[in-house]
Amino acid sequence: MLTTTTTLDALQEIFVDVLDEEDIVLTATTTADDIEEWDSLAHVQLIVAIERAFGIKFTATEIEAFTSVGDMVNTIEQKQA
Amino acid sequence: MDKILETIIQKIEERNPRHAKKLRGNMEGLEDTFYYQANEFFDKYLDFVDREGKDLDYGIDSYMKMIRDYMYEQVTFAKTGSYSCTSFEDANERVYNNPEVMDYYMHGLMLSQFLWRHHYEVFEFFNASFPNYASRINSYLEIGGGHGIFLSEAMKATNMNKEYHLVDISPSSIEIAKGFVGEEKVKYFLTDIFDFHPKQGYDFITMGEVLEHVEQPLRLLKKLHAMLSERGRAFITAPANAPAIDHIYLFRNADDIRQMLDTAGFKVLEDISIYAERVSRKKAEKYKVAEMYGAFIEKK
Repeated sequence: MLTTTTTLDALQEIFVDVLDEEDIVLTATTTADDIEEWDSLAHVQLIVAIERAFGIKFTATEIEAFTSVGDMVNTIEQKQA
Repeated sequence: MDKILETIIQKIEERNPRHAKKLRGNMEGLEDTFYYQANEFFDKYLDFVDREGKDLDYGIDSYMKMIRDYMYEQVTFAKTGSYSCTSFEDANERVYNNPEVMDYYMHGLMLSQFLWRHHYEVFEFFNASFPNYASRINSYLEIGGGHGIFLSEAMKATNMNKEYHLVDISPSSIEIAKGFVGEEKVKYFLTDIFDFHPKQGYDFITMGEVLEHVEQPLRLLKKLHAMLSERGRAFITAPANAPAIDHIYLFRNADDIRQMLDTAGFKVLEDISIYAERVSRKKAEKYKVAEMYGAFIEKK
């Protein structure tokens, strides 16, 4: 289990690590359009890292439907509830 | 870019902007020929869906379902290093004997022919080189013809008086090929290739993206070897690191496929390999990006 204070903080760490981009600052409304490195290949790596970090598993529909960081936060928190 | 291709991408953009961004990126730098061929193919596709009583939105929704599955399989592959489907029986249950899945999968694959750059580039490789082999072809077989686009091009480049043969294990696949290629010059065989026993060897055999769907691709290559005439040639394609709901055999890279061709008794005349993502080789190897391999081969 992650020890960071919020889900968003945890995602921030994962995005910085996976995309290898220190300057990323995530908000709930951040989308792939806002982060150049967030392409379909990176999306797969992000999903794998998030699943591992939170000990959860997304469905195919959830993976495809993620358009913003907020979508990810909501789904992660629902799975942890 | 204009016409139907642009309409398709706009419709994908409405459903999944991230994927549309990738598609547009993949199409950067392609020549006018691509847009001409893509629009010609998609016009045929529109006729096909119309005959089926469906429309373009049905096709786009099907494609998005396929992408959803594809993304899920990629995540699984990134975690496990294996394909999730382990046997033909498994693939049969999940896809081939599941009409709903089979239908959206077939429609999705048809659209991918021109939406996925690696599919298009292998097709272009075939178009560029096939005419060099066409003059001495008096018998032609395609195994697992899909939508029949390779067969269509082969028919344009050859001058055979005999029927072209197409073998496929899937009834829906054969119906799609009939819709695209017609029935006038083609004889269709609905059978497992291992139950197909032609009396004479073929001068040319095309087998696109079939090896990864079987448990023992070497056995299939040996069967192909046995069905070729002595001076016959074949064109095969297969992907490496390409997780999909019905891919069984995992090739780790193009060399894996070359090695198996050699073991099966084939010599590679010319080949091509293309990554599915526009990334450096280093990054592609690191993330095991899907790689499409295509080769013209003959008996050693």
